[in-house]
Amino acid sequence: MEQHANTTNGHASVGVYICHCGTNIAGVVDVAAVSEYAATLPGVTVARDYKYMCSDPGQELIKQDIREHGLNRIVVAACSPHLHEKTFRTAAQAAGLNPYLVQMVNIREHDSWVHTDRAMATQKAKDLVRAAVRRVRLHLPLERKRVSIHPDVIVVGGGIAGIHAALTLADAGKHVYLIEREPTIGGHMAMFDKTFPTLDCAACILTPKMTAVKAHPNITLWTMSEVTQVDGYVGNFKVTVRHKPRYIIEDACIGCLECISACVFKEGRTPDEFNMGLGKRKPVYIPFPQAVPQLVVIDPDTCIEFKTGKCKKTCVEVCAERKAIDFQQKETVDTVEAGSIVMATGFQIFDAGRVPYYGYGAYPNVYTALEVERLVNASGPTGGEVVLRDGRKPQTVGVVHCVGSRDENTNRYCSRVCCMYSLKLAHLIKEHTGAEVYNCYIDMRTPGKAFEEFYCRIAEEGVNFIRGKVADIYPEEGGTGRLIMQVEDTLVNYIRKVPVDMVVLSVGLEARHDANDVRRRFNLSCTNEGFFLERHPKLAPVSTFTDGIFLAGCCQGPKDIPDTVAQAGAAAAECLSLIDRQFVEMEPNTAVVNEDECSACRTCVPMCPYSAIGVREDTKKAWVNEALCKGCGTCVAACPSGSIRQNLFEDEEILEEIEGVLA
Amino acid sequence: MEIRGYWRHMFQFRKMKFQREAVPEWPHKVKTLPGCENIFSCIQCGTCSGTCPLSIYMDFTPRRIMSLLREGFRKEALGSETIWLCASCYSCAVHCPQDIHITDVMYSLKREAIKENLYPKRFPIPVLAREFYEIVKRRGRSSEMWLVLRMAFRSNPFILLGMAKSGWALLRTGRLSFKSEGIRNPKDLQRELAVKREVA
Repeated sequence: MEQHANTTNGHASVGVYICHCGTNIAGVVDVAAVSEYAATLPGVTVARDYKYMCSDPGQELIKQDIREHGLNRIVVAACSPHLHEKTFRTAAQAAGLNPYLVQMVNIREHDSWVHTDRAMATQKAKDLVRAAVRRVRLHLPLERKRVSIHPDVIVVGGGIAGIHAALTLADAGKHVYLIEREPTIGGHMAMFDKTFPTLDCAACILTPKMTAVKAHPNITLWTMSEVTQVDGYVGNFKVTVRHKPRYIIEDACIGCLECISACVFKEGRTPDEFNMGLGKRKPVYIPFPQAVPQLVVIDPDTCIEFKTGKCKKTCVEVCAERKAIDFQQKETVDTVEAGSIVMATGFQIFDAGRVPYYGYGAYPNVYTALEVERLVNASGPTGGEVVLRDGRKPQTVGVVHCVGSRDENTNRYCSRVCCMYSLKLAHLIKEHTGAEVYNCYIDMRTPGKAFEEFYCRIAEEGVNFIRGKVADIYPEEGGTGRLIMQVEDTLVNYIRKVPVDMVVLSVGLEARHDANDVRRRFNLSCTNEGFFLERHPKLAPVSTFTDGIFLAGCCQGPKDIPDTVAQAGAAAAECLSLIDRQFVEMEPNTAVVNEDECSACRTCVPMCPYSAIGVREDTKKAWVNEALCKGCGTCVAACPSGSIRQNLFEDEEILEEIEGVLA
Repeated sequence: MEIRGYWRHMFQFRKMKFQREAVPEWPHKVKTLPGCENIFSCIQCGTCSGTCPLSIYMDFTPRRIMSLLREGFRKEALGSETIWLCASCYSCAVHCPQDIHITDVMYSLKREAIKENLYPKRFPIPVLAREFYEIVKRRGRSSEMWLVLRMAFRSNPFILLGMAKSGWALLRTGRLSFKSEGIRNPKDLQRELAVKREVA
């Protein structure tokens, strides 16, 4: 490609193009006058105005002029650079001119769309064009850097989102590390009984995917593992993973569960985390029978051997053949390289104790929805029997919607899934007990596919609906053991006091309590509520502001299983797009440190929102990682000695532009 | 109040409301009153009525007052017994998921009702408020005997029958008297109140 003189050598040859943008600009700004004025500016060789500069003929104008007149700088006065900067840069490049020698002036959003006085708008356009012409003379021919992409992917979190993303990527032939903190993958979905709106058994649809993950040759499954450090940048991440000891030799254990029956504890004493504390487990346990990997785990906090060292170790006796139990197992650390990361760390439920007037924790028969899921589940602590704490079957049940959601006092947002799962639980409770169920709601939110039909089905089954938020729950007088739900039924206009045996609180979804620590480790932003922040809520819901890291599932915001799986697929697709492209081009508008002037005072280091600048140990000078730098200019402004400059926004360029406007 | 049978047609309130009966600018005016900044955030959840200890005695529950208020049904909202039955327990304001200061809204509506003279004329509570103010304005001190008598005769005289026994006991022991108390220069007080009204 023929390159024209890319430096001015004192001879700038500027082409100025004023776009009419139909009547968007020409309707207010006198484009012909601006074009005539531009032609008089020093250094301007060609000045034209045209109806639509972004069109093919418009771009052709620029290319032709570069070839014929030997232009070495271009100014396009048109719409916002957000829209067409790339178009004009590409056009210049096609004609052999470095794309960064093009400057756009916004005389639409900044002029014709915000002013009505024609004379003043035209004068403003002239001022802006003059400033741009002065600035562009000082532009330097910058080059985009290429960064190669490592083909491996790390998926953080082994719930349904992580599982689906991992399988999609592995099926595409990429190697995936699936890192999960708990002893098994499956996440919250493994705890559910049935899923809405089809009432599919959650475990029946999840476990095939879980076993597929274990069996897939392209997936390295690490459970009991956490990411402790993330270094690097897009395409070149270096991640440190800490494996917590299971005290079981993974290759030796076959999941026969004999050690659990043989344990010196005759019955479980520790509240079972998987069953929400409703059941008990022993120190050696498997979270649930279909756990993947199919291995037991020993809890060092409750096992006698760890506390006193004097246990009979009947578990070891019973495992004499495989010798899978190893009390000496230690934590190990691995460092892996990957090109992209998918965050699928999931959610936690709202702590119902924060709403004291619903009596959670105070009255025994007030449950959260997740606890009821475990009660209703056939492999739960009561074998699928929905019973109260004293073993009785409830005859009336109240379901309270919007606990910890849509409330200034707890969480502002709507948690999206609670109306649907409240309907599902109403159906399941009615099925298991034949009880009279009362759903007390503010609005019934059933937007998804087949959701409204599900609502109609539940209504037809005879579930009672009371439109009103439950105001208070208190014990019934006379020692009946029942609780009164006091609520205004806004549709029939009565204040109702409904005596129920059991109350189910439909708790909302929240960001995990350690989401803030996790997101700092990965250099991500988060919202006010703690969910990870996506790059654009509409157009980039799986990307983040950190290139190469994508989001999937409830860690980005509350959502149901279909949306989670869709988002996981989208995140996998973004990773594949990166990997198959094989490189990423970095915009050159990065900060550059002048090492001669830098004194390593470190003022810039904590300022960078992208952790892109640091002080190198070997040179003892500040150094910008160009792959992470987004060109925000904070360090440039902060540097007390002015030793950092920014490509495309040099001091001289900015000052020339200011002088041009004020001239 | 429910009326059954033949008389229902004579006295039951009409359920159809025409748009001309609503005052569309009124809610925007109320929004500027203290405490009423976010009345438009109400999602009609009914928590306020649910916790209100007096909602079962009200003609319109607090949630319905909020809805009437937002739709501009000025006469119905200001003429309700609800705003006068409010005990200021603040349960509603504490529970409200949209953080609306419902108790303060009730107070603002009470002031509006008296100002616009739209309060329920035979309801003892606003009558008591008005009579108290009138007595204090006239003489600078409240006279309990006259306050009770004026309130009863202006609203529901039969209240006196129920209070007769304790009323006579108070009179006999000198706790109540027919004497009207007053300050030395009630005119100064009246001048002060007149200035305040101008400013308001």
